[in-house]
Amino acid sequence: MKPLMLQGHERAITQIKYNREGDLLFSSSKDNKPNVWYSLNGERLGSFNGHQGAVWCIDVDWTTTRFLSGAGDNTCKIWDCETGKEIGNIVTNSSVRTCMFSYSANMAVYTTDKAMKQPCEMFIIDVRNVDESISHQDPILRIPINGPRVSSILWDNLDESIITGHENGEIITWDLKTGKKMNSVKEHDSLINDMQWNKDATMFITASKDHTAKLFDAESLALLKTYKTERPVNSAAISPIAEHVVVGGGQDAMDVTTTSARVGKFDSRFFHMVFEEEFGRVKGHFGPINSVAFHPDGKSYSSGGEDGYVRVHNFDSSYFEYNLDY
Amino acid sequence: MPAAEEVKSSWADEVELEGGTTLPAPTEVYENGFKVVTEYKINDDEKKVKIVRTYKIEKRIVSKSIAVRKTWKKFGECSNDKPGPNPATTIVAEDVYMQYITSKEEDNKQEEDALDKLKALGDKTVVKCRKCNGEHWTSKCPWKDTTLAGGKIDDKKPTPMGVGPGAGDANKPGVSKYVPPGMRDGASKRMDGPNMQRRDDQTAIRIANLSENTTDADLEELVKRFGPIVKIYLAKDKQTGQCKGYAYIHYKFKCDAAKAISMLNGHGYDHLILTVDWSKPQNPNQ
Repeated sequence: MKPLMLQGHERAITQIKYNREGDLLFSSSKDNKPNVWYSLNGERLGSFNGHQGAVWCIDVDWTTTRFLSGAGDNTCKIWDCETGKEIGNIVTNSSVRTCMFSYSANMAVYTTDKAMKQPCEMFIIDVRNVDESISHQDPILRIPINGPRVSSILWDNLDESIITGHENGEIITWDLKTGKKMNSVKEHDSLINDMQWNKDATMFITASKDHTAKLFDAESLALLKTYKTERPVNSAAISPIAEHVVVGGGQDAMDVTTTSARVGKFDSRFFHMVFEEEFGRVKGHFGPINSVAFHPDGKSYSSGGEDGYVRVHNFDSSYFEYNLDY
Repeated sequence: MPAAEEVKSSWADEVELEGGTTLPAPTEVYENGFKVVTEYKINDDEKKVKIVRTYKIEKRIVSKSIAVRKTWKKFGECSNDKPGPNPATTIVAEDVYMQYITSKEEDNKQEEDALDKLKALGDKTVVKCRKCNGEHWTSKCPWKDTTLAGGKIDDKKPTPMGVGPGAGDANKPGVSKYVPPGMRDGASKRMDGPNMQRRDDQTAIRIANLSENTTDADLEELVKRFGPIVKIYLAKDKQTGQCKGYAYIHYKFKCDAAKAISMLNGHGYDHLILTVDWSKPQNPNQ
């Protein structure tokens, strides 16, 4: 396959996300301009200019009309997808680490870091009508997180609950009616970098610094499968059409310069979802992969790396014909 | 969009243009489904360079919402970009392949076998005759006074198929042989990247002198009877889709690849005689 290399960022990619139909690919990086691309030909549609710090998290709503981003400049911004104009700006006490629209996009959630003597907090806001007034509106719910900070987040159960992944490897489900913890497990030993749903949101996959990616049942938080690697895992995604899981990672960015790309294990690894067995690898990045995402049609996937590139891969026919021998 | 006529200037005009210091204006031509963008630049050596980029124009039928999004105006950093991908931000990268890890168990088995062999050898007494490599002291060598013993010293590497008493022993050279660090047990994990590369190459064959009309299906038909195949690559022209005359086949097993070479080399196929050999690594340094 001939990947498309998207070179719109000056610093490490932090997150990439497809919209629901998969025609647009959003990317954010530690430079302060999230970008949006046509996934088919790699053409850049635009960049969202306005943040002053590293953009940590992005999300796009179901209809691809609004785009949400949270950054290290203590703001969380809502943008119009079509024009790239900022329509809402929320100033927070510390940097915004995770954000996500709810399934209906009537609400959104964001969490702030425990930093500058501020506690880690989770905010749920109403985003049905976004205008300038959103900056001084009160959130619907404000949940203080006592303990390790939130490092990844997912809306669950048709906007009735939220799943958070924490710095110490804990996963917690929150009930939004009461704002209380419903369930929690601690299957990971270290920071959970990323969580992503499968297609029908019955299971989700976590990517952790403890060198594993794990598959969980959404309702019970039961651990279903573990995918082991030798390096920290930064992101993992589940194929919407096959029982495949793609895992991206690599050693810590600070050690990269002292090792060659060959031993750095900067390849995307494909695991069989059920048998937990690795069956394929794709090389390409010069640094660790920070974010991976499957196209919603399952026929291509993208990865964004510490090297600042986003690579869009269209699978060869051999991938679809591949069967694991068992 | 410049008209097509601009491009069809006479050669004399072009020569004159080259004489001047100004560069020809960039052109965009649309013809039979391709967009050809031609640009002129002066490179670092102050030489004029012509850059031709060919884009294939595809029409797709998509849902309404996607079609609407396709008409959105560009904004932000790329608000001044022309329609179509900007070569500064969108680059078609080099071909990469998914490396399939199929024969995992097989590998482990092989490793274990090698380890077992080493262990078994280690148990035996480490005594080696300097004359005939037999398992006895040199002074007690039965061939001490014969010419054979003298001959053995000269060729340090006795051929495994050689005759004489040394032949049987030569098959077990592991007794006190140096094992490079990469081959020692435990090292296999570290080596796993390059190892895989090598294994890939070892089971690959190159078929040349294929006819233009060969298709993937034809090729598969031809090569699949020798054994399971990991990957087939048939070189094709980007635009016409016609075969360029060669192909690479990665077999799962080396013996199948060897069989394919012996059977297919010199084999007549579609009025041409095929040349089949092991695939050589692109750059041996890697």
